[in-house]
Amino acid sequence: MTSPDIRPVQARTRPRRRTRIIAPVRRRFGLRTRLTLTFGLGAAALSAVLSVITFGLTRENLISQRERNAVDRAAADAARLPVQLPDDPTSLELEQFLRELPLTDDSSAAIAFGDTWYSIPGTALAESSVPESMRSAVSDGDAMKMRVDIDGVTSLVLGVPVPALPAEYYEAVSLADLQRTLDRLGLTLIIASVLTTIGGGLVGYWASRRVFAPLLDVGTAAEAIAGGRLDTRLPVGGDSDLDLIANPFNEMAQALEDRIDRDARFASEVSHELRSPLMTIAATVEVLENSREELPERAQTALALLAADVDRLQQLVEDLLEISRFDVGAIKLHLEEVRAVEMVIQAVRFLGGGGVPVHFDPEVVDVVVRVDKRRIGRVIANLLDNAERYAGGATTITIQQVEDRVQISVEDRGNGVPYEERDIIFDRFSRGAEGGNRSNDSGVGLGLALVDEHVRLHGGRVWVDDRFDGDIGARFVVELPIIEQQSDVTAEVITEAPPAT
Amino acid sequence: MGTRILTVEDDERIRTAVRMALEDEGWVVEEADTGEEALQAFTRQPADVVLIDIMLPGIDGFDVCRSIRRVSDVPIVMVTARADTHDVVAGLEAGADDYLTKPFAPKELSARIRALLRRARPAEVGVTHLRFGDLEIIPDEGVVLREGVELHLTKTEFRLLVELASAPGRIFSRESLLEKIWSYGYFGDGRLVDVHVRRLRMKVERDPANPRHVITVRGLGYKLQP
Repeated sequence: MTSPDIRPVQARTRPRRRTRIIAPVRRRFGLRTRLTLTFGLGAAALSAVLSVITFGLTRENLISQRERNAVDRAAADAARLPVQLPDDPTSLELEQFLRELPLTDDSSAAIAFGDTWYSIPGTALAESSVPESMRSAVSDGDAMKMRVDIDGVTSLVLGVPVPALPAEYYEAVSLADLQRTLDRLGLTLIIASVLTTIGGGLVGYWASRRVFAPLLDVGTAAEAIAGGRLDTRLPVGGDSDLDLIANPFNEMAQALEDRIDRDARFASEVSHELRSPLMTIAATVEVLENSREELPERAQTALALLAADVDRLQQLVEDLLEISRFDVGAIKLHLEEVRAVEMVIQAVRFLGGGGVPVHFDPEVVDVVVRVDKRRIGRVIANLLDNAERYAGGATTITIQQVEDRVQISVEDRGNGVPYEERDIIFDRFSRGAEGGNRSNDSGVGLGLALVDEHVRLHGGRVWVDDRFDGDIGARFVVELPIIEQQSDVTAEVITEAPPAT
Repeated sequence: MGTRILTVEDDERIRTAVRMALEDEGWVVEEADTGEEALQAFTRQPADVVLIDIMLPGIDGFDVCRSIRRVSDVPIVMVTARADTHDVVAGLEAGADDYLTKPFAPKELSARIRALLRRARPAEVGVTHLRFGDLEIIPDEGVVLREGVELHLTKTEFRLLVELASAPGRIFSRESLLEKIWSYGYFGDGRLVDVHVRRLRMKVERDPANPRHVITVRGLGYKLQP
């Protein structure tokens, strides 16, 4: 019987052809990194521009205000000169005037009268501090202001002509405090820019995560579907933008589920339909076999052939039914906590495989697994059957504990399984090169696929490996999670359990 | 007169094939293709074993089983489509002693029937009289009394009680009970034991929700409280 209809199920593990809609562009950074960087750089640029503008405006504002104040005061001071002094003041009177000026700590004044430069020690404005060009301009009758570096401090020097005497009045105001204020402002702005940049980066990171979260959900959902949970769907209705992804995704998942469901149901229905006639045939063959002696020799041979193939057909139908139950998710496990070693020994005994030795370390005896023991019994039966069929029978069964799992290894001395076949051997109707010879083979190619399904349903896995001793042959390993190590009840149950083979 | 087996099955071909296979075992087979017919046939002449397919047109297998159980403790085997559905538990609760899933080999059926027939014979315990509080068991006669009043137990329930009573206080694992009473091995269906224990409690316990005699030992099995 060929059944291409259950093939597509395999497509989930080994896709043959893929449709790529978007050609992948290789980038050095991932989308999230790029978003974070973009936000960070954007924030850096924006805050830098704002800082520069703020700094420039504030500076101009502060300086011009200071200048206006200084100019006003210098003009006022200069205006008092002709009022308070006689037409031809003595040097003493000039110094007296300078001394009485209401100057602040950071300002100084001087008067050029005739060719002489008058200033008061302490708050002296040195003649050398005033540039030549300014002197000449002021003496020509123009009021002047100029920024001059005096002893390493930027100062504003103002020159006011006093034509009534005639004299020139000079006043200097230190801008050091203004400089300090601006330095502080600059530092503050730099710190603010750095913080803004970091903040921008964080916002970018957060935003990228927010934007990415639905995509990750899609990935998780797709993974779940690939893992066999076909009813996985994305939530819809929360965000109209995200629904643009979620809806088509859900439709795809639904289409996939429907299709797999239909295929599985078909297999299930076919098998169901086959069961009744098969049961009649099997029972009839048995009736015939009861009276085998009365049949002619040719009929006896024919009956033997019929009986063998009825068995095989019955096994196939049962396996198909079982596997289609897996496909439609109709398997109900009857879980019990059992000792792995006891279960394996019982399975071997039940199958009449008394000749297969079971090896295990004493401490593994108490290892408990939660299984549907009839299904796991079936797993062991199928593995022994497989060894019988393709490798002349199993040589040993070994039970080991590996961390929180127990491994049941079934070894044979056949030709082994080539590396390239170790995965596909668990596919349905796959029998590998060794199994291709059907001449004397009563297998149906579903045994190992069922093993795989059963074990996976128990949260375990199964694979083929080399023999422990490295000789030619195969080792099928079934790995199951351990529930706990019972030790308090060991003694009682061991006495009830039959002795190990 | 040999052992009589009543088979209830609506598929004529299966019924015929099963009848022929059972006749080869030397048993007398009576057939019924509906539940109504089966009940009439059983009323006319009770069989030694009844085989009921659950999927029947008209009265379903569960009802047939319950109706027969009301009047008889005859061993009943149910035939279900699947082993992992609720059908099995429902069938056992309706009073079946054992079950088979379709398709079954006639040899398997014969083995089940033989195990049931063995159970129908009086138990060989070697003790003539057992007493546990208000319960009194007379194995040779297949009689259980509670405060002197006889209880109606099926053969399987009786065997289960006697098995537990053979070593009061000892814990019997499901596996060992399956082996001793149903002739199944380690891989037998533990639900057979669970449902029968439940049914047994309904009959022997004053308050089945708080059993005093048949006690569950979690994770290990059952025991009879001495």
